[in-house]
Amino acid sequence: MWTFTEDTKKISRGGGISGSCFGKFFPAAIMASDTDVSLLVIVVDVNPIWWGQQAHREPEFTLAKCLDAVMVLGNSHLAMTRSNKLAVIASHCQDSYFLYPTKKSADNGGDESSSGDGKYELLSATNNQMAEEIREILSKTEVRGNSTDTLLAASLAKALCYIHRVSKELEVGQEMKSRILVIKAAEDCALQYMNFMNGIFAAQKQNILIDACVLASDSGLLQQACDITGGLYLKLPQKVALAQYLLWVFLADSEQRSQLVLPPTAHVDYRAACFCHRNLIEIGYVCSVCLSIFCTFSPICTTCETAFKIQLRQMVKPKKKKLKQQM
Amino acid sequence: MASLSEEVLLVVKKVRQKKQDGTLYLMAERIAWGPEGKDRFTVSHLYADIRCQKISPDGKAKVQLQLVLHTGENITFHFANESTAVKDRDAAKELLQQLLPKFKKKANKELEEKNRMLQEDPVLFQLYKDLVVSQVISAEEFWANRLGGVNNTDQALYNNNKQEVGISGAFLADIRPQTDGCNGLRYNLTADIIESIFRTYPAVKQKYCENVPHNLTEKEFWTRFFQSHYFHRDRLNTGTQDIFSECAKQDEKGLKSMVIQGVKNPLLNLLALDDNTLDEGYGVCSPQPSTSVANRTVKESSNSAIIKRFNHHSAMVLAAGSRKGETLNDQGSETSSTDGNSRDSDCFHPPVKKAKLQEATEYDDLQGENRPKTVPLNLKKSDRYAHGPVPLQSHQYTTSQDIINSVNYIHHEMSNYKPNLTQVMSSTAASSAIAALSPGGILMQGGAPQAIHQMIPTDIQGELKHLYVAAGELLRHYWSCFPVNTPFLEEKLTGHLEEMLQAAYNKFHAWQTRRMMRKT
Repeated sequence: MWTFTEDTKKISRGGGISGSCFGKFFPAAIMASDTDVSLLVIVVDVNPIWWGQQAHREPEFTLAKCLDAVMVLGNSHLAMTRSNKLAVIASHCQDSYFLYPTKKSADNGGDESSSGDGKYELLSATNNQMAEEIREILSKTEVRGNSTDTLLAASLAKALCYIHRVSKELEVGQEMKSRILVIKAAEDCALQYMNFMNGIFAAQKQNILIDACVLASDSGLLQQACDITGGLYLKLPQKVALAQYLLWVFLADSEQRSQLVLPPTAHVDYRAACFCHRNLIEIGYVCSVCLSIFCTFSPICTTCETAFKIQLRQMVKPKKKKLKQQM
Repeated sequence: MASLSEEVLLVVKKVRQKKQDGTLYLMAERIAWGPEGKDRFTVSHLYADIRCQKISPDGKAKVQLQLVLHTGENITFHFANESTAVKDRDAAKELLQQLLPKFKKKANKELEEKNRMLQEDPVLFQLYKDLVVSQVISAEEFWANRLGGVNNTDQALYNNNKQEVGISGAFLADIRPQTDGCNGLRYNLTADIIESIFRTYPAVKQKYCENVPHNLTEKEFWTRFFQSHYFHRDRLNTGTQDIFSECAKQDEKGLKSMVIQGVKNPLLNLLALDDNTLDEGYGVCSPQPSTSVANRTVKESSNSAIIKRFNHHSAMVLAAGSRKGETLNDQGSETSSTDGNSRDSDCFHPPVKKAKLQEATEYDDLQGENRPKTVPLNLKKSDRYAHGPVPLQSHQYTTSQDIINSVNYIHHEMSNYKPNLTQVMSSTAASSAIAALSPGGILMQGGAPQAIHQMIPTDIQGELKHLYVAAGELLRHYWSCFPVNTPFLEEKLTGHLEEMLQAAYNKFHAWQTRRMMRKT
């Protein structure tokens, strides 16, 4: 039995029919090696607190508009090549949710109400799903004072896991290139630093690009992420034209980007801040046991309480002896 | 100066140099002359410094020997002993003739090596020109680190490039006698086979050296060799008058000593191996103790002779293969190792035996682990890792009222959310975004910066590269002086290197001003 499913043009087989009889019924052009998958995961920051405030600041650009622009990008990506895949994750203060694909879409199959304007059914199904999901999520939002930061690191981790899962489900011989686009609204949360960096390095190892489109304030973490993984970082001068920026800069995948003239990468400030004063320093001392950074030398590391022995130069020896005597 | 620890090869008395009587000494590495009665040498030259020697023609009254040095200096020795002057002079000349080439090669070799290196590596050549020719570094310092390292590897490359070719075990069989038609046999001997025979059976080589070409021609030697029973399989009668009968006796001796030495591997008991079985699948039974020769049948004894012969041959081939690089002129070691196995058994003395036993009885992964000692990590302030090395950022606080308002607003707004993709942005917004993203727009200001190598002409780039490489070389000299644990290094650092760096800096400065003037 052969059935076609809407969202992926994969032909699912039932029973024990092996791939060898595949070729008998269909031309060889459909074989798996022809279709290299390109997966785009969009992580949208839907922090309701920030967006609520934003609605007062700039009424013409609201969360609805932002989501529209994201849908435009998603549809364009799916329309580029049949083998392209899409995933959208909404990053909230309490959790991160998949807007597309969701469990419901897998269950329902071809039950979607087709849109009236003759759109490609995949696109309309995608849009409907995303809209439904976001409505549901935001209607269930509760007010909580303690967590007002977007869980971006968690969303990033979910995206990486999803990519990993999809890469395991590929056909034999198919290759997948994936990238993550983060659309960030609220400010950075310093507490997510470690998790974020782990996620970035995991993406680097897996050759996954992380692009960033920042709506309001610059994010040092995302700048680092883009620099390390080879993606693009863009801070929008105009939020209203978000869709245009997304299509121009972030629609092309990494191979095609080399052919385009895109905004140049800015210099990233990689200076670390010392643990004692949180000042940015260029030269400092690092504890060899716990790797904490200090701006001045102290004989005991305050984080892990290891005692250090530094041999000073010979000229300083008499002074050192004096100290010892005093002690 | 007169180091008596040197090996003196020749002493010639009554040799005059610069109208002074004295004695001429030829040592292992140098030639020296000391005046009569004095203990020290006034003239001493290494053979490496001598370019060539000249002698006065035979008819002349004065019997002289002249040394021409590389520097162009000439030193003349006048052999004044009335009776033996010519003989002395000739003896000295012969010795010098033998010694000079050896040292000459060394000196030349170094120069050759240097030239070759400079020719092969243009970067090195440029460095040499920049540093040595312009007097920043002296030539010796330049070559100090390079020659030593390169020489070793080069020797390995060029000289020992060819692997030692082993001996084919079947070389005797390769001879393949062919019938000559009229009741004779032709043996085809190639140089390879001859070499194999000599390497495997040094006794035969010895015989060859003794007899050819004094007693026998080569052809005769080999004819006798093949005719002798030594060569043939059945060496039953060894009592004939044969030059090779001695070889056979030596072989017997060798074989006996091999058997006596045995194999020193404690885990291998050769004597327990046997061919006699009780029956198929029933294991080994020790044979009847019938080892006395009389009990053996003729067939058995001829079989054992062949087997003995084969074993001996294999042992000799293996021994010859392991005797690498050793010249077979070395008679002393040769006679001791005619059995071939002595070399191997020398290696098997107690430490190796112990190692073998240990290997067989101990398992590495069952031993206790010997991991290096590490410092345990106990963090007192682990919350520092939560934010990591990021600077403090001003935190924007939202009041709870704000939070409530925002959330309510979003509730309200998104409850009726319907994607409206046809109205996602206005055309003005889109065109302004495009303008910002086009070359020259606000977002494209960083430039794709013009690569610097396109802006600067190639010759300047080349000069800068050379200067950079030269500076790197100087830095390498600087850093190689650390750690400063000898006064020589200290002196080099403070005095010598500073000059070098100053000279290099001046050179760079000159180049810079030249460039800048050219621009303006």
